[in-house]
Amino acid sequence: MLIKDAFKTATRALTHGKMRSVLTMLGIVIGIASVIILMSIGASAQALILNQVQGIGSNLVFVIPGGSTSSKFSSPAAAQGIVIKTLKQTDIDNLSREPSIDAVTAEARGQGKVVYGENDVNVTFDGVPANFFTVRNYATTDGYPFSQSDVDSFNHVAVIGSSLAKTLFNNLEPVGKMIRLNNISLRVVGVLESKGTGPGGVDQDNIVMVPNTVAQSQLLGTDYFTDIVVSANDAYTIDFVKQRITSVLRQDHTLQTTDQDDFTIETQADILSILGTITSTLTLFLAAIASISLIVGGIGIMNIMLVSVTERTKEIGLRKAVGATDRDILEQFLIESIILTLVGGLIGIAIGAFVVTALYLIIATFFSSLGWVFEFPISAVVLGLLVSAIAGVGFGVYPARQAGKKNPIDALRYE
Amino acid sequence: MIEVTNLTKEYLEGETPTTALKNITFSIAKGEFVSIMGPSGSGKSTLLHVLSFLDRPTGGTYTFLGKSMNDMDDAELAHVRNADMGFVFQSFNLLSRLTVYDNVEIPLLYSTVPEEKRKDLIEDAVKAVGLEEKMHSEAGRLSGGQKQRVAIARALVTNPDVIFADEPTGNLDSVSGAQVMDILEKLHDKGRTIVLVTHETYTAEFANRIIRVKDGQIESDVPVLKSRHTRQEFIK
Repeated sequence: MLIKDAFKTATRALTHGKMRSVLTMLGIVIGIASVIILMSIGASAQALILNQVQGIGSNLVFVIPGGSTSSKFSSPAAAQGIVIKTLKQTDIDNLSREPSIDAVTAEARGQGKVVYGENDVNVTFDGVPANFFTVRNYATTDGYPFSQSDVDSFNHVAVIGSSLAKTLFNNLEPVGKMIRLNNISLRVVGVLESKGTGPGGVDQDNIVMVPNTVAQSQLLGTDYFTDIVVSANDAYTIDFVKQRITSVLRQDHTLQTTDQDDFTIETQADILSILGTITSTLTLFLAAIASISLIVGGIGIMNIMLVSVTERTKEIGLRKAVGATDRDILEQFLIESIILTLVGGLIGIAIGAFVVTALYLIIATFFSSLGWVFEFPISAVVLGLLVSAIAGVGFGVYPARQAGKKNPIDALRYE
Repeated sequence: MIEVTNLTKEYLEGETPTTALKNITFSIAKGEFVSIMGPSGSGKSTLLHVLSFLDRPTGGTYTFLGKSMNDMDDAELAHVRNADMGFVFQSFNLLSRLTVYDNVEIPLLYSTVPEEKRKDLIEDAVKAVGLEEKMHSEAGRLSGGQKQRVAIARALVTNPDVIFADEPTGNLDSVSGAQVMDILEKLHDKGRTIVLVTHETYTAEFANRIIRVKDGQIESDVPVLKSRHTRQEFIK
């Protein structure tokens, strides 16, 4: 039998029972659509997170207080909410003298309530030196970042995030206005350009940046930093810079050779590697869950194909009587199940693409600050088609073999 | 054309061996019209199944067009059924949702006939049974007589040497039965070999030879000497 005739015969059989065919392929449709949607969401989340980390800059090295264990995935103590007070101004000063380091900045972070008129908002505030804006590439759309003389003079000035500016001032010009942060008044000197959500889920547009001197002495009452950010000199490798930072800080913190580091150094590459592994595992996990529905769909197809073989026993008998071989019958039923799963797979891909696009449009419209990235992985489409074809063969071969093995006389007599 | 020697067919009914055919020996020449008659359970249908390559004997030899069935595998048997044999069943065995054209096409799907020649062959076969105006009607909507004529067209479409008809008038009224027998008679007149299984004497006497089977053995094998029935006699 020509393959073209086999396809024609199979298509005819499937179109004669349209409703049954549609219901049979529904399991595969849902399964493939789920795989596509979840893989796309996983890939989008991965791209979003990695983009944010890449936005940090490849020459930056982060120093977090507290040591870390040997495990790649265990968080440093500071990331677990434990307050460690080891990173001080002397560390910044000593690191600044290193030739392999271009600039050193730091953050002293806290939570507070910011008030303007009748509007108040809970925010994260960040006490930073003036060079923080250049090292971290933070630009203003309105006004200007505060200067080192503002920092040194304990001036009560603030640079605020774009969404905070909108919430507090509506359509008013923020620059020059006085706001209250906890118990102190601050004059707004600049508004940051929108940066969306940063690594670690901090909304970078709902933030108040103040001189670290003001933050540490008047808002937090501390003399330590939450983290230090080092901008490496391009002439040196990141690994060398990490070694120098380790050496300087161990000396500053008077650690013995047997003592473990009381700080953790992380580069963009480290963060990307960890996050990449986590998000890939998450995407795989999501796809694995969605695959369960594919298996259920495949079993549904096998079940209906077995019923179909029984119902069409007389047809099988007739076809064999007029010259069909076992192989011809096997091919016909196998092609039917492959068509069912492939068409189901294509519909699933189309539905998956539609849902993913709709999700993206909704997120882009209503949650634009999230900076959601549209990712529709071709690998998910290939996987979807491959899995549906394999499911068609895998779940169709048993019913098809049953059909092919039927004795023509018994089949013709079947009532 | 057909040579059967000491043909035996045994099968198990539960655990009891049953003999359906015992040492059957006969031959059918090309162009003959042979009826195989016998009461229910006589073995006539089993004999037809073996003759038409749908079943294998458990003993003896069967040579069709000079080739022994014992030397052929299942795929070769299927090829011979397709190319050299046509089948007409009591219950028509049409695919009711397909059109007349599509039903008649089925044997061609398994043949070596090129696609471009199929249309002419199908139309010729349907014309031969007088159903050209029903060519694109659904088979399930036809009358019993029309269905059997479609089945004959399907049997003719590969231009086989022999047509095996198993109780072809069994499910038909007398008028329709007469039409079907008329077609088979015309096919025989054009030189086609016909092997007909029936339990009806009137139908059997359309043939020029009747083999009577009883208890799995040939009881008689005689020529039909009287002139053929007219349609009116058949209807009576």
